[in-house]
Amino acid sequence: MNTVVAQLQRQFQDYIVSLYQQGFLDNQFTELRNLQDEGTPDFVSEVVSLFFDDCAKLINNMSRSLEQPENVDFKQVDSGVHQLKGSSSSVGARRVKNVCISFKECCDVHNREGCLRCLQQVDYEYKMLKTKLEDLFKLEQRILQAGGTIPQVDIK
Amino acid sequence: MRGDSFSVSIESLPDSPMGSQKKMSKMFDKMSEWVTPWRSKSETPRETRILRGDVEQEQFQYASSHCLSSYYSVFVVRLAIMVMLAILIGLLTILTWHFTRVYTKQSLQTLAYGLRYELLQRPILRMWSVLNTTSELTTAQVKLSEYVIKKYDKPTTQEELVEMYQAMKDVTWALFASAKALNAITINYRNGFVQAFHRDPASSNTFYIFSDLKNYSISETGLDDVKMSLGHGWNNQTIHGNMSAIWYQQQLDPITGVKIGKPHQIPPDDLISIAGISQVPDGEASWHVTVSKYMDSPLLSAALPVFDASNKSIVAVVGVTTALYSVGQLMRDLVEVHGGHIYLTSQEGYLLATSTNGPLLTNTSKGPQLMKAIDSEEWAIKAGAQWLEKTYGSNRPHVVHAENARLGDQQYYLDSFLLNLKRLPIVGVVIIPRKFIMGKVDERAFKTLVILISASVCIFFIGCVCILILTNGVSKEMKLRAELIRQLDARRRAEASSNYKSQFLANMSHELRTPMAAVIGLLDILISDDCLSNEQYATVTQIRKCSTALLRLLNNILDLSKVESGKLVLEEAEFDLGRELEGLVDMFSVQCINHNVETVLDLSDDMPTLVRGDSARLVQIFANLISNSIKFTSTGHIILRGWCENMNSLQDEMSLTADRKKPWAPLKTKLVHHRNHSLKSCKNENKMVLWFEVDDTGCGIDPSKWDSVFESFEQADPSTTRTHGGTGLGLCIVRNLVNKMGGDIKIVQKNGLGTIMRLYLILSIPDNADQICQPDFSKYGLVVLLAMSGSTARMIQSKWLRKHGIATVEASDWNELTKVIRDLFETGSRGNSFDSHHNIAESLRAELSSIQEIKNPAFVIVVDIGVLDLTTDIWKEQLNYLDRFSGKAKFAWLLKHDTSNTVKTELRRKGHVMMVNKPLYKAKMIQILEAVIKNRKRGFCNRGNVSDESHDCLEIDPTQFDTCSSDDSSETSGDKSVKPSTLHSPVLKNYLLDMTKSNDEDSTTSEASTTTQKKKQEEEQDWKDRSNRLYSGVALDGKNQKSLEGIRILLAEDTPVLQRVATIMLEKMGATVTAVWDGQQAVDALNYRSIINAQDPTQEHKTLSEEENPYDLILMDCQMPKMDGYEATKAIRRAEIGTELHVPIVALTAHAMSSDEAKCLEVGMDAYLTKPIDRKLMVSTILSLTKPSTFLTDENLTRELS
Repeated sequence: MNTVVAQLQRQFQDYIVSLYQQGFLDNQFTELRNLQDEGTPDFVSEVVSLFFDDCAKLINNMSRSLEQPENVDFKQVDSGVHQLKGSSSSVGARRVKNVCISFKECCDVHNREGCLRCLQQVDYEYKMLKTKLEDLFKLEQRILQAGGTIPQVDIK
Repeated sequence: MRGDSFSVSIESLPDSPMGSQKKMSKMFDKMSEWVTPWRSKSETPRETRILRGDVEQEQFQYASSHCLSSYYSVFVVRLAIMVMLAILIGLLTILTWHFTRVYTKQSLQTLAYGLRYELLQRPILRMWSVLNTTSELTTAQVKLSEYVIKKYDKPTTQEELVEMYQAMKDVTWALFASAKALNAITINYRNGFVQAFHRDPASSNTFYIFSDLKNYSISETGLDDVKMSLGHGWNNQTIHGNMSAIWYQQQLDPITGVKIGKPHQIPPDDLISIAGISQVPDGEASWHVTVSKYMDSPLLSAALPVFDASNKSIVAVVGVTTALYSVGQLMRDLVEVHGGHIYLTSQEGYLLATSTNGPLLTNTSKGPQLMKAIDSEEWAIKAGAQWLEKTYGSNRPHVVHAENARLGDQQYYLDSFLLNLKRLPIVGVVIIPRKFIMGKVDERAFKTLVILISASVCIFFIGCVCILILTNGVSKEMKLRAELIRQLDARRRAEASSNYKSQFLANMSHELRTPMAAVIGLLDILISDDCLSNEQYATVTQIRKCSTALLRLLNNILDLSKVESGKLVLEEAEFDLGRELEGLVDMFSVQCINHNVETVLDLSDDMPTLVRGDSARLVQIFANLISNSIKFTSTGHIILRGWCENMNSLQDEMSLTADRKKPWAPLKTKLVHHRNHSLKSCKNENKMVLWFEVDDTGCGIDPSKWDSVFESFEQADPSTTRTHGGTGLGLCIVRNLVNKMGGDIKIVQKNGLGTIMRLYLILSIPDNADQICQPDFSKYGLVVLLAMSGSTARMIQSKWLRKHGIATVEASDWNELTKVIRDLFETGSRGNSFDSHHNIAESLRAELSSIQEIKNPAFVIVVDIGVLDLTTDIWKEQLNYLDRFSGKAKFAWLLKHDTSNTVKTELRRKGHVMMVNKPLYKAKMIQILEAVIKNRKRGFCNRGNVSDESHDCLEIDPTQFDTCSSDDSSETSGDKSVKPSTLHSPVLKNYLLDMTKSNDEDSTTSEASTTTQKKKQEEEQDWKDRSNRLYSGVALDGKNQKSLEGIRILLAEDTPVLQRVATIMLEKMGATVTAVWDGQQAVDALNYRSIINAQDPTQEHKTLSEEENPYDLILMDCQMPKMDGYEATKAIRRAEIGTELHVPIVALTAHAMSSDEAKCLEVGMDAYLTKPIDRKLMVSTILSLTKPSTFLTDENLTRELS
């Protein structure tokens, strides 16, 4: 039993470290995890799911705005990107944030094609992150079910 | 023809000599070479497209395609010009050829016609003359015959008849002999007698032919017959039928006519043709052509009747025969000269004469017969006749001019004329080979054509080459232009990329600074940690320093890029200029003391205290300048001078600075002169020109580099980097900032070693500020003894003191100090010996004597701690020595930042409470003096505990001013202990830190000194970056998780994620958080309160803020739906007007630029946090904004209580 937990814990550690190393996450995520305690046991997953909902909504809005071949309302897109950037940086979704930065640049120069490309990228990145984090949370669940504790991961 | 030349010209393009072909291929090569780089280039920008945008791309493409098309157009134009040239040349050739040929031909033809006409005319004329001659002779013969016959009218006898015949014979002979051309003359009498003379050209004999007289008689019948049958009675039968007649031929001497030999009978066959009566049927002259067997040419014979006297009957017929061969001869002669053939025919087509030697007669069985021209043995004549026959048929016109008659295989001219003689029309035909006349012409024409064509082809090629050469120039220019366009494009791209770079750097500001800030903050925590070993502490401090340096460097780069990208927004806030500079000098003096360099601040008294502007940037300017000076100054001093001037005298000043070699003092006095009216004008304009100088005694800068040192990355000496380090950005930033503030900076000439950087800034002054507050110390009778090791600072300080009427004595070291002290305090007892023992300078003595005159002087002795000998323990004795005078004078100590605690403790123990850190400058001096004066006043009324009194009077709590300066948005967040305020007197900082602390607890002094040190450090680090100010606060609060206990926070955030995160974060730290979704809700949440306020105006504000203010702080996202953060803040601030409430609002934004910060602060927010939220930063910000107010209320409460 203990070996299973230990194995799971190691797996969890490796996984989360890989997420950091691959640049999916940054320290803000650590901050989030630090905020989670007994009082708010599902804080991270809650915030993350909020974030993904937000993402889906924003991307949907932006893609609708960008669908028009002409007279794209860049202001609207810009505010969407801005929000996305804010929330992604708050969650620590680093890749999403980085794409948002270039997205914003495209938006500033009213480059529709660039925007579309960035939009796809954002979509891809956030979905990617979503699956990764879902895996992470599943792993967590399994550890908890196995009676272990979530190990603290020190990200240097 | 035209088509030919055209095709030639077209063909000549590709077929032309290799040269042009090469040229063409080269041209295409160039074109493709020109096209390809454009294409390859178009690949590269595609990658950077996102950055640069489509517009530029399109422009670029447009430019290149434009070039390409113009290049094509040049090519087309070339072709067109060539084609036109070809057509032109072709036309010219054709026309030239045509005209030369046609006109030549025509004129030649005219000439040829004339020639032909002439040619024919002559034989015809000859013919004519022959005919005429014959006719004349005939007529003459007839006349003679008529005469003779008349004479022997009606011979009746044979003798008479014979006689008459004899006479006739003689007459006829005479005629015959005279006309040599005659062939024969015949006289045929009515009775049938014939007399004839005949020349045989073959044997050149002359014969007389006569018929036998016996056969003829003079019978009436015969005459009657003739008479009867006039007209047709006579016919040839009379002669030919009269076969019975016998003919005799007698040879005659051709000249004399003498008979030679006997007449012999000849057969009728040999008889020549004799004209009979039949030939003159109508009594008129008749002509006909005959042949004779003696002649191989036709003969022309004319016949005329001879009438009798009555002129009614014909008595005889005279016939004259002429040979035509002379005509032929003539024609032959002509043809020999001109060539060709001529022949004459009768109307029936019988040949009369030809230019050839061919026979004209055919020998038939009946003797020679005339032959037709068609039957001629001569080829030319036959062919000509056949051609005529063939062309015109039987009824041809007699006049024909054919130019291109083809006979055989040659072209001939063929002309025929009609000589219309009565009874004998003659047709003349001239056949001339065409080549005789036109042959040369045709040949010439062909040659001319060839030459013309080749010439035009040559011209065409030369033209083409010329065009190519000419257009080559054009295309070269074209290429140059394309090059230029490309260059321009490249430049634009480079500029754009430079822009992007700047923008990138500016955008990176947040990303770069945040980690650095984190590093520094964490280090601060670490430093404040107690459990560090000394070694660790030193290391961490070192790291701290390094990170500060790194941050500064980053800030430098970012500042520069920000200034260059035009994003730098200067703040416009009030600040205390003097204090900013003092703080700066304080900070640098720490560095300078290590360098053994004095830092001196020398601000003139007329400098305004409060100015409006960007304090951080101003400080940055001087910090850069001073740090630059420090870098190059190893010994000596660095003086920061400042004086001011109003706008009006700026012009003079500018002209003055240009050639200013005088020291600044005269200028200053001049400026003081100006001051009176300048103050007035300043009131209106509120602008002031502030002059500053940073004067050092460093290595100096070469005059040639004076301008270039202000360029980026420029250093006066390349080796500087190695020796002193640095990036060369500092001065560039300085210049940029100075320019931005409407000023200018330059290096001016200095006497002696070092550099003077002089700059001026134009700053506005707040309206309400009374700028100059000059404390008047002269009336207190103060005497100041300055015992300072640094001569420059001492000199400047004493000068200032003297100017304000304070007696000042200077001492540079311990010995001097003791001398002066002794002199001052023991002068009464040992005055004379003092003079004799010590050689004090005259000035000092004068000073001393003047001091002695002051009644009830208050002595202030300012002692630099450096004057004491700290290396050994002597300083304690020295202190004891000085302590003796403590009753008579007040001691103020100048400490170094690294003065050890033992010294401080000792000083404090001895009751020396006035301690200031070096360097000493005006404000500190004033503070000391004021302290002394106040102390003295109290001392007069209550001679009690001196130190307590001094403490009371000097304790100036910074928080006192916060009540009225809480609007100063950003400043409140700072940890600077004193805010710029609207107080009228210069605000005193707690320079005399130790003084305030010393009375609390002696044991805490060490702690206090560390705080001082810390404060110094903080100041050093934090004056640049406002956001960094708070880190020391973080350091203190870092471990306290519940640091926000009890603070009520309104969070306006629309992003659910952020809202959640921030809420949790804040709640973790003990804050009460209310989250709203947009600005409107936030305003509503607060409006509730203001409504209450409005309803209940009598209620005290304090209690209101205590009880009714539901939130201590608002965290406001800037970008929100419905109402964004800016709007919401504005609304809240509007609602606050008229109340004394001020809810601190902290902006939360993902924008990290200073311009965004400026915008936030502009709308009335108090602080600014960037996303992602940094917990520590947020905590410290919140604390700095909320704590003072709680502190303030406490303070107020306590005040009220007391």
